[in-house]
Amino acid sequence: MRVLIVDDEKLARDRLRELLVEIGDHVIVGEGRNGNEAVERTIELNPDVILMDIRMPTMDGLEAAMHIMGMENPPSVIFTTAYDQHALDAFELNAVDYLLKPIRKDRLANALSKAHKLTLQQLQQVNEAQDEPMVRSHISVHMRGNIRLVPVQDIIYFMADSKYVTIRTAADEHLIEDSLVNLEQEFGEKMFLRIHRNALVSTLHIRGIEKTPAGTWQVGLKDLDMKLDVSRRHVSSVRRWAKR
Amino acid sequence: MDFDKETALARAKQAFAQLRVYLDPDLKEQPDDGGFLPNFCNGLTLLNVVVIAQMLAFVITLVTRRISPNMFEDLLLISIFIQWIALSSAAAMCALRNYLNRLPNQRAFVMAYLLLLCVTWLVSEASMWLLWLFGRIPVPHPEWYAYFQIQNLSVAAIVIALALQYLMARQQLRRRTLSEARAKMQALRARLRPHFLFNSMNIIASLTRSAPTKAEAAIEDMADLFRMMLGDDENLVPIKNEIALAKKYLNLEALRLDSRLNVDWDIGTFPRKAVMPILTLQPLLENSIQHGIEPLPAGGNIGVRLREESDNIEIRITNPLPSGSAHKPKTSGGSTLDDIRQRLASHYGDSAKLDVNEGEGRFVVTVTLPMRGGNP
Repeated sequence: MRVLIVDDEKLARDRLRELLVEIGDHVIVGEGRNGNEAVERTIELNPDVILMDIRMPTMDGLEAAMHIMGMENPPSVIFTTAYDQHALDAFELNAVDYLLKPIRKDRLANALSKAHKLTLQQLQQVNEAQDEPMVRSHISVHMRGNIRLVPVQDIIYFMADSKYVTIRTAADEHLIEDSLVNLEQEFGEKMFLRIHRNALVSTLHIRGIEKTPAGTWQVGLKDLDMKLDVSRRHVSSVRRWAKR
Repeated sequence: MDFDKETALARAKQAFAQLRVYLDPDLKEQPDDGGFLPNFCNGLTLLNVVVIAQMLAFVITLVTRRISPNMFEDLLLISIFIQWIALSSAAAMCALRNYLNRLPNQRAFVMAYLLLLCVTWLVSEASMWLLWLFGRIPVPHPEWYAYFQIQNLSVAAIVIALALQYLMARQQLRRRTLSEARAKMQALRARLRPHFLFNSMNIIASLTRSAPTKAEAAIEDMADLFRMMLGDDENLVPIKNEIALAKKYLNLEALRLDSRLNVDWDIGTFPRKAVMPILTLQPLLENSIQHGIEPLPAGGNIGVRLREESDNIEIRITNPLPSGSAHKPKTSGGSTLDDIRQRLASHYGDSAKLDVNEGEGRFVVTVTLPMRGGNP
């Protein structure tokens, strides 16, 4: 099998590499040091299975796996962890493959021989079982059968129409299949502000709010030369936010 | 092959279960331990009740006048009567346990007391009717009935109060011992930080192949570190020992984090015999690494400065503030710092302090301790 190794610790990656060589029958196609690299390498190298550490900087293993599950024909994922009690319970419960560090050769061989595909639902259940469920650091958008990661802090606003949600960054626009309600729930009021039934705006990118001659309110943006309407229902909450 | 798979799976499950028992932070209390009143459904408590009742029966037999031709028959009758009350009482307490445990402590005690007096009265009443039924007395309520009830209730009032007090004291003792053991276990677990332990072991396993000398050094550092962690919490140690221990810890973290961890040491001069509480530096550094270095893909540097400032030891530790990430800002490491604050307070009272600051993209922890052991 074609294996991708993802761990932020070099020596941990080395150990997996050595064990895989000893086991034989497997090809190591590459390594990654965090969740972002896991997603990039997966697109690039198309492995059959990923050995993925959970705790990593910028993007953790759980989030990376979620993005990867959104790809066409995703690889299997086997998580590796030193100690994450709540995650382990959830893995057992949802039949997610995992290995405990220090990793043993026989267990690694065994896990690779029976590795099976995950579903997004399994991962979501694992995430919900955590003490503090992970909030995505990136949103994955589909582009020609592959995915691309958009950092959440680059997103200026989410705009919903009948079926899709548009993500607007300073440079680009993307469509995703999600709902504003879900997005609002996940990212909360700290990062995004609901200004209209169909719009969530990043608080990082708001320049200010202003009144139009017609007496309605608009939100001015830092990196885009445009203004967004605040609906009557959301005026009070938007103004309360602006005062803080 | 199948067999191997199965044993491996069984072993993994077993290890998992063990880990869970040893390390689960919310290890549930056994249901028997809860409650202010003792658990009368429990065999041991029941045995206590029976023994107390039997001792009371002996005492009463010895001090009262004969009620039948020989003493053994007296003892038998009195024992049956008292055990009847005692066992009915235990049954009543067992049945109403859930209700009593929901009450505030004082009220639970009063209710239990009244309940037991009621049981005594009921059993006394029932015994009169039984005697009448078997023709031992002509009417269910002879002229000595009132005296009989008053005597029983008075004795019961005293004995129940004493017995309840005794059983409750035992219960309290048992609960305290258990919760102390649990607290100790949790403190130990927090200090050993299983994540660090298992990650380091994984790294050492990796090093044994590629660099056996490094692996050897790592095991020695780990042994020293864990010996200190398992040792007595109360010790004051020379400052240089505490610095040596912190360095051993950092060696291990450096293996794990590789080039991502840089430490700038700045150590002033201290009186040779100056001391500080053991494990003051190490948890501060651990906190910095966990919240300031690990979240950064490229790592960063930790600044450690120890100085003598007007008869105080001043420790200043700085680490980068990871920013711009979408993750929740957990840079302060609240609980770890609170724990350290508490430990310092237990050693020095108000004269030690721990301050937290943020500035220029860095998180700064400053600890000030009174200098001890430096002056002859």
